[in-house]
Amino acid sequence: MPASKRFLHPEAIGRIARLDLRARQIVEGFLSGIHRSPYFGQSVEFVQHREYVAGDDLRHVDWKVWAKHDRYYVKQFEEDTNLRCTLLVDVSNSMRYGGAPMNKFEYGATIAISLAYLLLGQQDSVGLLAFDERVRNKTPQRTRRTHLNSLIQALTVSEPAHKTDLESILREAAEAYPRRGLMVLVSDLFADRAGLFKGIKLLRQRGHDVLVFHVLDDDELDFDFSGPTRFEGLESNDFLNCNPRALREGYLQALNGYLEEIRRGLAQNDVEYALLRTSQPLDQALAAFVANRQAANVKRN
Amino acid sequence: MPPPNEFAEPDLGLPTYPVFPFVHPSLFWIGLPLIALPVLIHLINLLRQRKVEWAAMEFLLASQKKHRKWIILKQLLLLLARMTAIAALLLMVAQPVLKNQWGTLFGGSNTHHVVLLDDSFSMSDRWADTSAFKQAKQVVERLASRASRQETPQTFTLLRFSRAGRGSSGLQPDLISEPVTADFAAKLEGTLGPLAVSQTAAGPADALDAVERLPAAREDETRVVYLVSDFRANEWNEPTALRKALGKLDTSRAQLHLVNCVDTGRGNLTIAQLQAVPGVRAANVPLMIDVAVTNHGASQVKHVSVLLEEDGHARPAISVEEIPAGKTVSRRFPVVFSTAGEHLLKAQLESDAIEIDNLRFAVVEVSAAAPVLVIDGSPDGKDAYFLATALAPGGKIKSGIKPIIESARYLRSNPLEGFAAIYLANIERLDPAEIEALEAYTRSGGGVAFFLGERSTSDFFNKQLYRDGAGLFPAPLAQSVQLLVDRLEKVPDLQVTDHPIFAVFSGERNSFISAVIIERYFATAPGWQPDPASTTKVIARVRNGAPLAVERNFGAGRTIAFLTKAAPTTTDQGPWNNWARGNPSFVVAMLELEAYLSAARQSVATRFVGTPLEMKLTAGSYRPQVRFTMPNDRGATSGKDGGALSVDAEQAKDALGVAFHETQSSGFYEAQLTKTDGSNEIRRFAVNVDPAEGNLKHLDGPQLAARLAGVRVKLHNAGDFAFDTGQLAGFNLGESLLYASIIVLLVEQLLAYFTSYHPKPIGGARR
Repeated sequence: MPASKRFLHPEAIGRIARLDLRARQIVEGFLSGIHRSPYFGQSVEFVQHREYVAGDDLRHVDWKVWAKHDRYYVKQFEEDTNLRCTLLVDVSNSMRYGGAPMNKFEYGATIAISLAYLLLGQQDSVGLLAFDERVRNKTPQRTRRTHLNSLIQALTVSEPAHKTDLESILREAAEAYPRRGLMVLVSDLFADRAGLFKGIKLLRQRGHDVLVFHVLDDDELDFDFSGPTRFEGLESNDFLNCNPRALREGYLQALNGYLEEIRRGLAQNDVEYALLRTSQPLDQALAAFVANRQAANVKRN
Repeated sequence: MPPPNEFAEPDLGLPTYPVFPFVHPSLFWIGLPLIALPVLIHLINLLRQRKVEWAAMEFLLASQKKHRKWIILKQLLLLLARMTAIAALLLMVAQPVLKNQWGTLFGGSNTHHVVLLDDSFSMSDRWADTSAFKQAKQVVERLASRASRQETPQTFTLLRFSRAGRGSSGLQPDLISEPVTADFAAKLEGTLGPLAVSQTAAGPADALDAVERLPAAREDETRVVYLVSDFRANEWNEPTALRKALGKLDTSRAQLHLVNCVDTGRGNLTIAQLQAVPGVRAANVPLMIDVAVTNHGASQVKHVSVLLEEDGHARPAISVEEIPAGKTVSRRFPVVFSTAGEHLLKAQLESDAIEIDNLRFAVVEVSAAAPVLVIDGSPDGKDAYFLATALAPGGKIKSGIKPIIESARYLRSNPLEGFAAIYLANIERLDPAEIEALEAYTRSGGGVAFFLGERSTSDFFNKQLYRDGAGLFPAPLAQSVQLLVDRLEKVPDLQVTDHPIFAVFSGERNSFISAVIIERYFATAPGWQPDPASTTKVIARVRNGAPLAVERNFGAGRTIAFLTKAAPTTTDQGPWNNWARGNPSFVVAMLELEAYLSAARQSVATRFVGTPLEMKLTAGSYRPQVRFTMPNDRGATSGKDGGALSVDAEQAKDALGVAFHETQSSGFYEAQLTKTDGSNEIRRFAVNVDPAEGNLKHLDGPQLAARLAGVRVKLHNAGDFAFDTGQLAGFNLGESLLYASIIVLLVEQLLAYFTSYHPKPIGGARR
């Protein structure tokens, strides 16, 4: 299967194509687009009047105000900009867990690529960073549609390794993409929570709008195993022989505690969070997320 | 031929058990490894375990750390429960036989119903249209019917009281450890139908005792003993022995049920006695017969008439005006038998609650004349003359006594058995052979009277006849002494007691006795007094209080010594007394003495139904086969109705012993003996029912419970008798293990439920 088809599902694209992904916060871009920019520019959206100072473009002097008050005021307009989006995709070993139709990595990658397709379609620029214990691949932010292929290529990583500290990965991402934009983290987040929260906090301090897609498998969420089973760690050397039914309750308790902690930690940093099951139809999950975000933006504005 | 004495254990065709306590030990051994099956399955599962590469190890390890101990504990418990369940199922199949007290606690798998059925004749008690025995039969039928509906194996034993005897007839149950199968009801009906009340007075003691001797059908059986009876007061009022027997059964862990078959105690009349009064039994001599009727009821009975039959011919009935409650009234009537031989007497009452005890039979043997031996030591023979004259006055008066006067030598050379009594008067001495013959005669029931005289010496009597109490003579003698005449004394010389000999003189002052003058007598040894514990008694004294007549029992017979002379003649020492001279009291006293002495030989042992008729025949005189004819249901001897049986005599020393055991009904029995010369001899016996059994006073539940306090029995009434099914089902250990298995399996399921995973409807972690 060509890589483009592996992560681009027509039905998912079809469902989200009518939507557009807006940055929730003000982002910086270089094209006029659909996102609000911190810069005043040429736009139809009037923002305010300001007294004329030397050097201001005479085109922006409001002659009607001069005529009434005999003072020079210039009109300031809001400038639209394009979105700079960075997809941070976890390609570590733990993301390889899961069976048909998709494992967590495939699910996460599909989400990332679908978003990239959507964003490229609305003239936003998209970059991608694939990581495990370190950053494995990095693509710059581009607005060209052909950029999609290089994004897909970046996801192909051989011999994935264990995840280490997410903080360092996120710090590195912040440094690699210094301009304010949208950071989309796609991961199972099986890593140190403190590091994760520190990294997120850093991104937020740099002015990034952060979005977390937490991808987990049904097995991981429901722990629906039976019969004696030997569990071997994907990212550690731990193993455990047990009757999974006996441990299920304790496991779910621990898991729920972990999810709650993630949820709370991310909410504190004003980060949007979505927990996705790999069994969930991808298009639905994505469409629901994008639609929610649109509605939230409308409300905010 | 009598039935075997010992009860032989029948081959019941039931399995015998090995030492190991399982019904199916092989199944147990085959199945034993199965107990390890859960462990094996666990090990196989461990080998088969799936390998999963897992990302979220963190949470799994946390869960494991938290629940590890509890999980291991639950799993161990579950494993144990599964192994226990398999063990219980295995035991259920193998059916362990627990023989110790725990086994009996759980109950055996087999219930053995032992029904002890009272068939003594008091059970023929009738009321309305039923009787106690009918009620009892219905109880047995109901018991069998209930037993047949039980799921566990049941066996049934039916034993009648009359067949539980320890005697020669032995234990003869009607049903013995009979498995209660589909055709059991028919079999029981066939057995129970013809059963009728026996004429015995068999009590429950033998039957209870017999339960111990019954063979067990199976080793693990639970015995349930039913005593189906009428619980008469005469047996149960002081049931010390019965309590002991019941207690013994109780300790052997048998369940005891007493089933009462009568509603209330009814009145009943019983002929308690029909027998000849001791006296001379000779043809054409009047013989007095006593008949006694007992009123067992709680109120007096009036105008009771006793119908009498003499040799099959009716005699005038005797009427008893009134019999108070609980009392026995006797009537005496004379009978004169015209011929010598055995005569049959039968008394009968009118119909009442119990028929069987309304009849009484007696056989009276009458001889042509009763011979008595008179030995006289005096040369003139006067003593013998006076005695013989008194015993057989002659003329028109018939005493039936035939005195034979002989010298002392006669004793050693002739048989003495034929004499009704022996009189020894004024003897000087006897040689040892004569003394031995005399003592043998007395020991076998003969009566001997001594009269002393001028020839008698204390030395001989003391040394040879008294022998410090070991001999025949009842008292040691001193010298003959003269009774001093006291003219002022108004007291008669002869002071009699109320002994039977002098009974006719008792009461009113009797001039004949007071006319007797005693002038000389033998004093007893100084200081001698009869031992109160012995049978020696002084029955007459002289005026001064010295003994004049002394009696004692010797063997089966008795001796009486008059310490003065029989003849009123004058001797060298002067006259001894004037009693025989023209004083009628001498004749009367001598006839009474004769009756008294011969009574021991005449007394016929009362034979009750069920006791064997025993005879001893002189060897060589009779052929060993004796033919017995039994009575019909009216008591009369009739070969046609009653049937006859031949019995072989058994040689015992120099005599032939014959015992006839088939005395199951009252009436006259005939033994036909054949002498070696070919001639026949008939002997007759009267067999009667035990009159005590006619007492229908019975104990009700509370009274019985009070008397049996401390013994674990259950009391029931026949009418409302229904036993607890659960109790009688026995406790099949296999069955109890089945329940145990079910419980263990339930526990296992419960444990498994709590140990395992049950997805909740929503399931999974929160989204």
